[in-house]
Amino acid sequence: MEDQERSPELFLFLASTVHDMKNSISVLSGTLENLLVQEQPSPDQAQAWPQMAHMLYQTRRLNDNLMQLLALYKDLGKPTYPFDPRPVQIRELVQQVADQERVLLQSKQIALDTDFDPQLIGTFDEDLVIGVLAHAVNNAVRYTHDRIRLSVEQKDDMLEFRVEDNGAGFPPSMLEAGAAVGKGVNFLTNSSGLGLFFSSEVARMHRHRQRTGSIALENGGKLGGGCFVLRLP
Amino acid sequence: MKTSAAKIGDITDVNWAEKRYLIVDDFVGIRQLLRESLRNIGAKHIDQASSGGEAMTLLARTHYDVVLCDFNLGEGKNGQQVLEECRARNLMIPSSVWLTVSAEKSVESVMGAAEHQPDAYIIKPITEGVLLTRLNRVWHRKQIFREIDRAYIEKDYLRAAKLCDEQIAENKIHELDLLRMKANLLMKAGEPDQARAVYERVLEEREYNWARTGLGKIRMANGDLEAARQMFHNVMTENRYYIDAYDQLAAALLTMGEYEEACAVLESAAKLSPNSVQRQRTLGNTALRVGNIALAEKAFRKSIQVGEYSVFKTVDPYFGLARVCGQKGDIKEALALLAVVRRDFPHDVVELRSKIIEGLVYHESGDYRRARKAGDELEEMLKADPARPDTATCMEMATLLFAVGVKEAPVELLCHVIRNNHDNQLLLDDVQKVFEQARMSEEAEALIASSRREATEVMNKGVLLWKTGKLAEAVEWMREARQRLPDNMRILFNSAQMLISHMQKHGYDEALMMEANSVLMHVDRIAPGQQRFAQLIEQLQQLLPGRGITPAAEDGVF
Repeated sequence: MEDQERSPELFLFLASTVHDMKNSISVLSGTLENLLVQEQPSPDQAQAWPQMAHMLYQTRRLNDNLMQLLALYKDLGKPTYPFDPRPVQIRELVQQVADQERVLLQSKQIALDTDFDPQLIGTFDEDLVIGVLAHAVNNAVRYTHDRIRLSVEQKDDMLEFRVEDNGAGFPPSMLEAGAAVGKGVNFLTNSSGLGLFFSSEVARMHRHRQRTGSIALENGGKLGGGCFVLRLP
Repeated sequence: MKTSAAKIGDITDVNWAEKRYLIVDDFVGIRQLLRESLRNIGAKHIDQASSGGEAMTLLARTHYDVVLCDFNLGEGKNGQQVLEECRARNLMIPSSVWLTVSAEKSVESVMGAAEHQPDAYIIKPITEGVLLTRLNRVWHRKQIFREIDRAYIEKDYLRAAKLCDEQIAENKIHELDLLRMKANLLMKAGEPDQARAVYERVLEEREYNWARTGLGKIRMANGDLEAARQMFHNVMTENRYYIDAYDQLAAALLTMGEYEEACAVLESAAKLSPNSVQRQRTLGNTALRVGNIALAEKAFRKSIQVGEYSVFKTVDPYFGLARVCGQKGDIKEALALLAVVRRDFPHDVVELRSKIIEGLVYHESGDYRRARKAGDELEEMLKADPARPDTATCMEMATLLFAVGVKEAPVELLCHVIRNNHDNQLLLDDVQKVFEQARMSEEAEALIASSRREATEVMNKGVLLWKTGKLAEAVEWMREARQRLPDNMRILFNSAQMLISHMQKHGYDEALMMEANSVLMHVDRIAPGQQRFAQLIEQLQQLLPGRGITPAAEDGVF
């Protein structure tokens, strides 16, 4: 199968990248931890303490997320991931994605609009799709001015998830990378492909009656910026 | 339609603030984070444990409404084993929620024993919103399944299946779970055709491995083993990590007598998901059977290791390993294992089986004098007590007694086995093999034929009495038959059937009710999951005063 053919180089790429990132995060969190466990702060430092504690919390989250991502990648490539599509209420899905991103969005004063039919039910692997959408929102934070929109809609037998922003849109290189995903793009030369590859693998795992899930990157949308689109059968 | 993210949450009216929580994780940092999350959803009563053992102590003392338990807990029990022991010891009340927390969603962490599944899995890191969503979902699901679960515990599978239908009409989001449960119930109730209709309805919507495996199980129950084998194979080709299909395929192959192939399938399954006490034990037994001593040793050792902290810890892998050691000539370890067994599992049957295995170990390692001594002791025990142990023990004992040169006692044992299993061809083949090893092939045929005839005659006489309307005599005859053939499934079932018919005709009778119930419980103990079992239980339930026959039940339609 094609998964097997390209997995060795992907593993190599992933292993080294993640290892490198984890080193940086370890230093960050270690330093923060050391500062925090020192004796009681002097009065002029006291104000910074809660903020530093929050930084540590965020760093830990980042570390956890990375480990989780690595686990999913490893499993997706192998594939030993216990893929488990079940009926999910879209209302609950959106709620979970929004909650994961809440702290980040609030601290950057970005608003999240959601748009979906509260009665809508979709069939997919909930944990994987939450991972993809949270990743897409994280990514949109980099491009948006102050607004991100998460919408879910049933469209011609496919469930369409859109993460849109009101920024300047994706640069041409990203649009190309998005179009190339799934067509054998060389990830060793394209570092921005990591998240896209993860998302496209998740999409591809979802199959129903000869139809397969897919992802796309576009510019425009309701907010006029970049759009990440996930379509599931 | 536009909604704001903040408002999406408040959909259920569960008061999570007043519940009692237990957090189980070996890392203090994670426990603090989880406690923080719980505090943020309003929780006030939160306990913590840093290991499986500590969790068990707390769980035995307090009824928790919600348990958040990490899968990896370092030394000792893992999260799944804590859950299994909790369920086995009834430490959780039915409304309690068990959430298994895991750093990654691995096959291993979500492949527990089917009957000891947590209510939900959550992957770290856990945010409040995800926690609250999953808690509310589990709570909602528990409301829907409350009555169904109660009927299930009472083994009233057909009533439970009807309750599933009632819930499906109102709860679209849980339809799939309810259909899965319904099919499972119908299988247990001995209604494979109706179960098949459910699986086929599900498969029209979408390809689910469990539904396809379910269809395979139905084929297997109907004796169409070749078709079942093909269906399990297809599921495995499609999804190489759907372990249940492996276990089912192995079961089908074992029933077909394809031991080599069954062994290979179990070996692959054990590689994918090595922490199942039962699977490793089955692998060990199958490997021992096909003479793959190295594999049997590995499997038995693993079974003992993972069973150490599990409620599924049984004596079988110790006996298996002792036999492996005997065949390798390592008498010392074999005897040490038997000493452990006698110390850790003090029980009459265990004492008896230890003696048998000891004799076999001596014999296989060439110490004929000690083997003979064990055989003599067993012969004395047989003479002293007319009650016979279970089938597998009888077979092992006969094997040993033949090996040490005793003749009459093992023949008597094997005839007992035949009488109690007169329509199990695979077992009769095994009996034949034991006779052959003792160079008694010729006598075997006659003995098997006459023992089978004896059982058939006992049965026929009972059925004749019943059919000619002599119900009381039939009931009495079957009562005696049960004494002579205590483990014969057909006789047990027919006996229960006649007791029920008697009450259907002549009215409810407390004593007959108790008798029928105890016969059925005996069947369920020696061979769980029989098709006729659930049907008879249902009929029995209908006889209870105040539990009239509903029109739907009469038609057998629901």
